[in-house]
Amino acid sequence: MPATMLTAASPLNALLAAGSPGGFNAWAALGILLLMAVTFGVANLVMTHVLGPSRVGEVKGTTYESGMNPIGNARRRFNVRFFIVAMTFLLFDVEIVFLYPWAATFSQLGLDTGWHTIFLGRMVFFILTTIIAFMYAWRKGVFRYD
Amino acid sequence: METLLAKLGTLWPEIVLLMGAVSCLATGLNHSPFARRLTPAVAAASMLVAALLVLIIPDDTVHPLGLDGMGWFVKLAVLGVGLLLLALAAGVPDALMQQRRTDAAVTFDAGTSIKGEFYAFFLLSATGAMLTAGATDLVWLFLALELVSLPTYVMIATTRDTAIAQESAIKYFFLGAMSAAVFLYGFALIYGATGFTDFENIRAAVEADGVNPLLIVGVMMSVLGLCFKVAAVPMHVYAADVYQGAATPVTAFLAYVPKVAGFVALMLVLSLVGWPLPTPVLALLAVVAVLTMTLGNLLACVQGNLKRVLAYSSIAQSGYLMLGLIAGPALGADVEAVLTLFGGSRDVSQPIGNGLAAVLFYLPAYGLATIAGFGVLGVLWVDRGENPDPLDDEAQTFDSISGLWHRHPFLAGVLLVSMLSLVGIPPLAGFMGKVLLGSSIVSAPLQTLSYVLLIALVINSAISAAYYLRIIIVAFFGRDAEATHVRPTPLRFAAAAVAAVIAFALGGHLATPVAQSAHEATRHGVVKAPPSELPEPDTAVADAAP
Repeated sequence: MPATMLTAASPLNALLAAGSPGGFNAWAALGILLLMAVTFGVANLVMTHVLGPSRVGEVKGTTYESGMNPIGNARRRFNVRFFIVAMTFLLFDVEIVFLYPWAATFSQLGLDTGWHTIFLGRMVFFILTTIIAFMYAWRKGVFRYD
Repeated sequence: METLLAKLGTLWPEIVLLMGAVSCLATGLNHSPFARRLTPAVAAASMLVAALLVLIIPDDTVHPLGLDGMGWFVKLAVLGVGLLLLALAAGVPDALMQQRRTDAAVTFDAGTSIKGEFYAFFLLSATGAMLTAGATDLVWLFLALELVSLPTYVMIATTRDTAIAQESAIKYFFLGAMSAAVFLYGFALIYGATGFTDFENIRAAVEADGVNPLLIVGVMMSVLGLCFKVAAVPMHVYAADVYQGAATPVTAFLAYVPKVAGFVALMLVLSLVGWPLPTPVLALLAVVAVLTMTLGNLLACVQGNLKRVLAYSSIAQSGYLMLGLIAGPALGADVEAVLTLFGGSRDVSQPIGNGLAAVLFYLPAYGLATIAGFGVLGVLWVDRGENPDPLDDEAQTFDSISGLWHRHPFLAGVLLVSMLSLVGIPPLAGFMGKVLLGSSIVSAPLQTLSYVLLIALVINSAISAAYYLRIIIVAFFGRDAEATHVRPTPLRFAAAAVAAVIAFALGGHLATPVAQSAHEATRHGVVKAPPSELPEPDTAVADAAP
């Protein structure tokens, strides 16, 4: 295995090969994409600045809070509960990120290979760990608002 | 993917510990007070089952770096000494003010109880150390090392009622994050230099293309980052503050588990380039080793707080352990030359001259002595009156153990064994460990450097005797400390005593079998053949690479 896998291009080799015609072609698309992205962004900013009418005033400078009059300063203390909710949200959010590629791959596994059980088992284990985390958070009173 | 599944089959001990951690969370938050009291027992049971599984399950997977039995040895060392650490730490959360209030309340408030979390984090950190030993990939190694460290930050911050615990946890956290960044950068450079993250392919790439400068820089950065885990100069600055700030049983945990993980990781990273080490890596390690032992010992001499003394002692011991890493696994010809000097001939089945075996032997030897020392401090408490902060009631100063011999001769005896083993006095484990380290560094093919390092080891052992013996003198001949009392924690007492007894045994009857199995675990480590024995370079492979 090692001898065959050695032929795979390492990132260093790829960078070194960038000077050769073949290596350059491989990276050219990325360079053009970057160039287009930067040009588009800069061009839009410059054009708005040059072409757009500029009217400044006190009302226009205030914070927009869904149409209501702004109250107080944004730099105030929040209840620590919000951070816990945010962390719990991250936990389940990340779980979903892992579920998508799994679901996409699962249907492509051949029925005769026997990988189905293993892949399903892995995902069940993964979801189980998240359920345990959820139960723990529940028991700790993270979802209790009183 | 099949190799991944085969690897998963060897991970049952870790999986059992993980399940134990989850069970601890459940029992720690249980409605029934009885179930809550069972939490440490659940943790101990899962460690016992894991140790049993390590013994039962045959690990016949071939290690990519030739360290075939190292995982087995380190897992047993972590679990065995870990059980003593658990006995030492059992009851730590119960002594906290918040936990006492929660336990005394009529209705149980799960939000304020940290009992389950403490034991769960304990088990998770131990799992991390075991996973480090089984690592076959840089990504795995990194995740395992982080699993060792992350729970310890919480363990430090939550297990004492004083502000310095939080202070030390924050220091440890930020410096730990920085060190993680450094060795992760190193890992990234190793990947950049070879194109692989798994050890087998990295080895194959190094054997095919040789060691390039990028790889050397990567290994050096990894070594520097890992120096934090083992508290070696220049990443040692946190040790004294953190050890002082954490609750004493947690300090004992910090002195052992992250250090084992760190040295195992160092062993794996250095194996990627193989012994004898490339000159820049060798120079770095030699400088770090000498600085670590010298600075650690000199600074330990001037400390007034026992936990800080033991922290600097722990730094110095890391310096000694580095010698084994410099020497590497048995290197053949030079070992024979040294042994014939003493009138013996080289028997490759013997651990003499194998630096990695010396490191593996020294880790539990050092751990047991340190646990016995911290155990004695953990058993004692000092009546500081109404306003004990910031020292709370922990025995930390030389005054608090003064005259221990007159009141608690048994505790003083345990302390004596612990300190003498750390100095390296003959019948104890520390002596055997230093013999193995010293013999390995002398037999390594490093010409003058071998002797420079050996002399550094000997001089530093002499310096270290100054502060270890100072502790003994205070405990045996000092004026009786009226305010010091013994906690009603028989388990903690037993842990310290058992650690001292095993430290004795490890220097006697157990020394040969343990050193032997450490040798068996590491004797096939990566050693480059002398230039004359190098085979012709395989040009076909080199040409096939783009």
